[in-house]
This record gives sequence, structure tokens and C-alpha cells, in this order.
Amino acid sequence: MKLLQWTAILSLSPLLTALPCSAQESPYFVTYDHHMEEPGNLEIEISSTTDVPRSGQRYYFAPWVELEYGVTARWTTELYLEGQSTWNDSTIFTGWRLENRFRPLKREHWINPVLYLEYENLNEADRIQKELEGLAPDVSSPNSVLRAIQDRELETKLILSSDVHDWNMAGNFIVTKNFSQSEGVEFGYSFGASRPLATTASGSNCHFCRENFSAGIEVYGGLGSTLGFGFGGTAQYAAPVFAWLISDNSTLRFSPGVGLNNESSPVLFRFGYSYEIQGFGSKLSRIFRGKQ
Amino acid sequence: MKPLITFGIVSSALILLAAALGQNVSYRPDPDWRAPDEAAARPNPLAHKSQAVAGGKKLFLRNCAECHNKDGSGIVRKHAADLQLAVVQTQSDGTLFWKITNGNPDRGMPSFSKLPELERWQVVLYLRTLKPPESHAEKNSESCLMDDCKGRGASEGENQPLHFIVKSTKKPWITSEDGLSWPTRK
Repeated sequence: MKLLQWTAILSLSPLLTALPCSAQESPYFVTYDHHMEEPGNLEIEISSTTDVPRSGQRYYFAPWVELEYGVTARWTTELYLEGQSTWNDSTIFTGWRLENRFRPLKREHWINPVLYLEYENLNEADRIQKELEGLAPDVSSPNSVLRAIQDRELETKLILSSDVHDWNMAGNFIVTKNFSQSEGVEFGYSFGASRPLATTASGSNCHFCRENFSAGIEVYGGLGSTLGFGFGGTAQYAAPVFAWLISDNSTLRFSPGVGLNNESSPVLFRFGYSYEIQGFGSKLSRIFRGKQ
Repeated sequence: MKPLITFGIVSSALILLAAALGQNVSYRPDPDWRAPDEAAARPNPLAHKSQAVAGGKKLFLRNCAECHNKDGSGIVRKHAADLQLAVVQTQSDGTLFWKITNGNPDRGMPSFSKLPELERWQVVLYLRTLKPPESHAEKNSESCLMDDCKGRGASEGENQPLHFIVKSTKKPWITSEDGLSWPTRK
């Protein structure tokens, strides 16, 4: 119940601070590109992952709240709060993660690297599948068993991204070490390509203009670990991605992923709604600094 | 419950720290922020499409006005450049496009390469329509002569006497069919 209350409060908070600003978000759910959050802006995103289960498995709904803040133009930090609800089982809080992305190069290049560092404090019942590394997640065991297994992980990613003729192409290479269990060092990947449907902006404030939509595809999955590298036992997905810039400050995203092997769910649906608050950092710092 | 409270305190402290570190407390023009010659020489492919200005205005208000103000005058506390000034307006279209594309991350200006290329050119087109009101220009000229223009937040030539800057904006203006206008290059 606490989780639901917090989710409701966080969902409504953007409505209380309705300030216009940019929210031209990438349509990806899993893949990161090199575009960082604007400095001082806070983006609040509510997303979810749900699947069509295989026989013997249960439907689940895994929502998460994401707070993304642009510390500087080259450093973005994010906090995730995650939960999960399984049909005929239970609804539980599955943990949190704190991630940081750093952009080492000042200028735009053909390939733009971004370094990613994340600490996760989750349990095995976590099912948002924000990224896949190592073997496929256990979606068959009951929550009471899975939530008792802690995962304290350090995750790094090398993000390589490029904008070519209005297409964004990005590749992420994931390396994760779980300090709670002896799983070796796990690996994963994701690749994405996306493009806005129109490349010039019309003068009118329209909601359904092509310029407000972008679409693409992403492919992601695990690559095993140092105990056994490769695709064996891993989950693999290919997912079209769509984003709709509803207004200047909010974006809706959708992705129906298709499982590519027997370890994957047949279909993985993802929905996301993000709202951006401009100048959050300067407002906050003014409160603590006083009048200048 | 206790771990949740600890987590809440730690994460709040991190967000506050991040917010404090994220502020650009003293803007200074960056002499190293210069477009390569090849980029500076690029012409605006939309230069003759005055109808694209309206879209550029929409993009400007969505992406740039947060720091540069709705009229482009620059918000002082954000140390953002005054885009109406001649030191900005005399830069080539290619230079402005390059600066929008790359940003100047160490000085707080983010890259806007996430916008499609033509949309960035639309923003450049709109920037050409920004001009200071006469009264505003005169007022700034007086105050700037007194305090040596410090804190004005111009992207370059910040310490130049502003009467030079204002004087150089007194050049013929082109007015499009839809009533928008911008200064001629030379």
C-alpha cells in the first residue's frame, strides 16, 4: 500500500508544478544514447513492464518511477524506485538503483561515448528488465521466495551513440558484478536506432503533427557471464519503440517487445510517461542559498 | 522501515548535492568556444524559407527560452548569453548552428544535437529575428558604460563597451512577408 501511495504522489506531483520546457525524449526503453538531461532539469518518469507469460507462468506488472536530473551538461544522475505485482501472488517493492552517466568528450563526434555507473539494491523479484545481463530472469518462482534473495550489484556500461542524418544509432555494452551472489561478472548488450517522423517544426502548436512522433527499434539481451559466455540461457528481445511528445514537457512512450528465444517472454509490453520540470536545480539551490 | 528512511535521507542528500554542484555560478565568455572554419562557413539551407521562422520560434521557446529568455535577452542568473547582442548576431549562421549542435558543456550550455538538423537550422533562422527594443538598448548602453559590461552575460566580447555593440546593431533590417525581421549580415 505504501508503494502505491508513493507512486500516486509522484504521479501527481508534476501537475502541481506545471512549467513548460523541453521533453524531446528518445523513444528507447533499454538503450541509452549520448543525449543527456539538460542541466538543472528534473524529469519524472512513470513506466512499466508487463508480459504475456508462457504456460506455467503468471502475468506480472512491474512499474517503476524514475527521477532523472541533469547535474551538468555532461553528467546526468537517475534514481529508480521499482515494484512488481504478480497475478494471484503479491505486490511488492523490489528495490532501488542509482545511476550516473558521464559524457567525457565536450563536442559532438561521429561516435559519442558515454560512461555509465550504477549501483543496484534489488531483489530477485525485480522484473522491470530495464536491462538484461547474464542469464534470463526467473519469472516462475513465487514472490515470497524471490524477494528474499538480495542483489547488490555494480553495473557499468559503455554507451556509444551517433546521430547520422537525423537517425540516432546507439549501442550499449553492459558489465555487471553482483556482490550478493557468486554469479561471476555478467554481460549484456542493447542496440537501438530511431528517427523522428518529421525533421522540421511547423509553426502551429499541434499535438498530432508528425514532428511530435519518433519511432525506432531496439534489440537487447544477455550475454552470459564469466562462468559461461554466450547466448545460452539468456533472454533476447527485439522491440519497436514509439514516442509521442504530448506537450512541451511530457512524453508518452510505448514498446511491444518480442522474445527471440525460449528463455524470453513471448511478448513484453512497456509503457512510459515522462514529465520534465525546468530549472528544478536552480529553484532548489535558491531555497538553500537565500536571496542573492 | 528503517532502511527505507535511511535510503530516503541518503538519496535526498545526493540530489541536493547534485543540485548545488550543478549551478554555473559565474559565467564568463569562453574564448575556446569557436566553430571550425568549415562549420562556420555552412549556409543555412532554410535561409530563403521565411515560413520556417515560425517553427524556429516554437523550438526556441521550447528548448532555449528557459535560459535565454523568451525574447533572447538571456537570464542573468543563469549566466546565459544575450542573443540580441551584435556579438551574437554578427556570427555566421554556420557558427550559430555549430554552437547549438555542440553546446558548451563546461559552461552549462547543453548540446542540442538531439534535434533534427533542419530544426536546428530553424532555430538559427529565428535567432536572426531577435533584436533589442530601442529603450532596452539605450538603457543597457548607459549601465554598461558605467560598470564595464560585467555580468551582462554576452557569449563573447563581454567586456567590450556596449555602445559599440549597440551601434553595430543599427543596420538595415530585413522584414519577411509575415512581419518577422532580422538584421542584414553586413
